Amino acid sequence: MSVKTTNQHMIKEIPLIKRFPFPFQKDSYRYSNNARPLESGKLADITPEYFEEIDKKRQILLNHHERAFQSLEHSIDGQWEVLEFLIDELAFIYPEYFSVIKNGHEWTFENKLLDEKHTFTFGDLSTLPYEPLDFIGRHVQEDLIFMGQRDGDLYMDAGQLCFPANWSIAFDIGMTYTEFHSPVPVFFDSGLAKKVLNFLLRIEAGKPWTRLNWTLTVEPILDTFPENFDEWGSKKEKVTSENAGQLVHLRVEDQRLFRMPRRNGILFSIHTHLISLDELKKNEDWLKRFFRVLKDLPDYMAEYKGFSLYKGEIIRYLEKSLTN
Amino acid sequence: MMARTLEVIVEQITHETAAIKSFKLVSADRSPLPRFSGGSHITTYLQTETGFIERHYSLTSDPDNTGYYRIAVRRNEDSNGGSIYWHDHVKEGDKISISYPKNYFPLSFQAKRHLFFAAGIGITPFLSMAKELKKKKAPFEIHYAAPSKELCAFYRHLSTFFSEETHFYFSKENKKMSTKLMENQPIGTHVYFCGPEAMIKGFADAAKVIGYSEKSIHFELFTPPKSGPMQPFRVKLNKSNKVIEVPEGKSLLDTLLQLHIDAPYSCKIGGCGSCQLHVLKGEIDHRDFFLTEMEKKESNVILTCVSRAKSGSLVLDL
Repeated sequence: MSVKTTNQHMIKEIPLIKRFPFPFQKDSYRYSNNARPLESGKLADITPEYFEEIDKKRQILLNHHERAFQSLEHSIDGQWEVLEFLIDELAFIYPEYFSVIKNGHEWTFENKLLDEKHTFTFGDLSTLPYEPLDFIGRHVQEDLIFMGQRDGDLYMDAGQLCFPANWSIAFDIGMTYTEFHSPVPVFFDSGLAKKVLNFLLRIEAGKPWTRLNWTLTVEPILDTFPENFDEWGSKKEKVTSENAGQLVHLRVEDQRLFRMPRRNGILFSIHTHLISLDELKKNEDWLKRFFRVLKDLPDYMAEYKGFSLYKGEIIRYLEKSLTN
Repeated sequence: MMARTLEVIVEQITHETAAIKSFKLVSADRSPLPRFSGGSHITTYLQTETGFIERHYSLTSDPDNTGYYRIAVRRNEDSNGGSIYWHDHVKEGDKISISYPKNYFPLSFQAKRHLFFAAGIGITPFLSMAKELKKKKAPFEIHYAAPSKELCAFYRHLSTFFSEETHFYFSKENKKMSTKLMENQPIGTHVYFCGPEAMIKGFADAAKVIGYSEKSIHFELFTPPKSGPMQPFRVKLNKSNKVIEVPEGKSLLDTLLQLHIDAPYSCKIGGCGSCQLHVLKGEIDHRDFFLTEMEKKESNVILTCVSRAKSGSLVLDL
C-alpha cells in the first residue's frame, strides 16, 4: 500500500535551506520554557515532503500499529474534538488541498492531494476505519499527542507518533506529564518541569504556543523509535569528521500546543524537519552558530540527546568547514 | 499577545428575573462556535465611551451546542459598570468580541459524585456542568439558594431538566441551605461552590472540618477576594532593572499593564493563576484563592492581580 503521488506538483517546491526552522537564537543552548505565542495560530504545515512522509507514516502504522498509535478508552471524545479541529483547520487554510462538507453529523472529508474521500458520521466510531486521532493523523505530516487535563495534572491519553526522537508512546501512554518527563536530565530535577507543567495547565483556547526542540540523527531517518534502535542506533559508530556532512542531520521538532476546549485537554503537535550538515552549510551564519552551540553544550545534554559518541567528529568537521 | 477573539451578535435578550438578563450570542459570520467543557466561561470585551470593559461570564448553554452561547448577567448597582452596561446599553443585534471558552472551574475526573452549592447568580457555571454530567449519566446534586421562586434565575429550566437533582432553598420561605448537606456523603464525593465570597468561605471551611481533602473542594469566585487594605509598595523588575511604585488601591498587575509591560493575566480575581510571576526577593502578602497553602509557604511566586508585598519591596523575575 502506498499513497498516490501524482499530485506532487500541487505543492510548491522551495529549497530546504530557505524554509528550515533553525532552532538557535543565540550561541548557547540550555533547557528553558522557550515557548512563545504561535502567531499563525495553525497546526498543520504542508511541505514538499508531504507525499513521502505520509507514505512512511502509513507504512509504520500498517506494520507496527501498537508502536505508533496508542489510546485510552476515555480519550475517544477528545479524539473526536481533535479530528474536528484539524478538519476545520485544513479545509479553511488549505482549500486547494482539503475540503469538508457537513450535513448535520454526516461529514465528507476530501484530501485532494491524495485523491481520497471519506464519508463518516461525526461521533460514530463504527463509520471510521480507525480511531479519530489515528484517522486524521494519516493526513498531516505532524505527529499528534492528546493530553487529558484532569484534577490538576496532564495525562498521556492518546497519541499517533510515527517520527519520535527516541521516545515511545507505547511506554508513555497513561503516564502523567511529570512521569513521562522524568528521564530528561536537569529539566526534571531543577524544578523547570513543574514550572512548564503549570504553564501548560493554563494554556487557553484561541491562544496556542510553539517551541522548537532539536537533536541530531545519523542519516535522514524520521522513525527513530526506541523499539527499532537496532536499525538506526549502530549508525552512530560510522560518523567521522570526513563523512559527518552527509551523515549527520540536524533534527528540529516544530512543536505546537493547543487547548481543546470541549474536553479541556491539550493537543501537542510535532512536525519533524531534518537537514544534513552539508545542506546547512548553505547558510554560513547558521553553521557558525551551530558550531558555537555545540562547543558550549554540557555533556549531560549531548548524552541525553544521544550524540556524545560522535560529538567530537562533528566539531572537527565544522572546524574544517568554517576555516575553508 | 492578545488572544484571538470571537465576534458574536446578541441575537436575543431574555429577562430571567427582575435583576437577571440572559443573552443569546451567535457567531457574527455564522461559523460554528467552539464547543466547551462544563464550568467554562468567556471573557466579554465591551467597547464603551470610557474604554474597554472586560468581564467574565459562565456559559449556560449546552457544551456541544455550536450554534449559540448563552450567558446570564445580574445587574449589580455596586459594580464598576460591567453589568450595568450589559443591562442598560446592550441591545439585540449588537456585535461584541468575546474570548474563546476557558475553564478554571472544571469538573473533577476522579470524583464519583458531584455536589453543587449555588447562591443566586452563582448557579450559572453549574448549568453546563449538569448538562455534561447528565449526558455521561454521572451522579450529581444541585443545591441552590435564592430569595424566592420569582427571584430564582433558571427556576423553570432546572425544574424541567434537572427536577430530580435540584433542591431549592428560598429564604422567603425560611429555607436555609445548610453546610450540613455535605455531611455523611460517600467517599469520592466532590463539593463545588459558587456565590458571594462569604458563602464560599463558609462552605469551604465547613467542608474542611467535615473532612473533605483540599482536592475534593472546588469553587469559583465572581469578584476579587476582599482581604485588607491595598497599601502601596515598590517593585523592582530584575531583567529590565526598572523600579515601579504600585500606588495605594491599585493592583500590581494593573500597574504593570498601564506601563505597557507585557505581563500575563486572565481572570484578574486571583482564581486562575495565569498572572503568576516569580519573586526573587521580598515577602509576599498572598491574597489569592489559587495557590495551595504549601505553595504560599514556599513563597517564590506571586499572583500579580490580587497579591501585594507584605512590607517594603519585591524583586520580580520579569
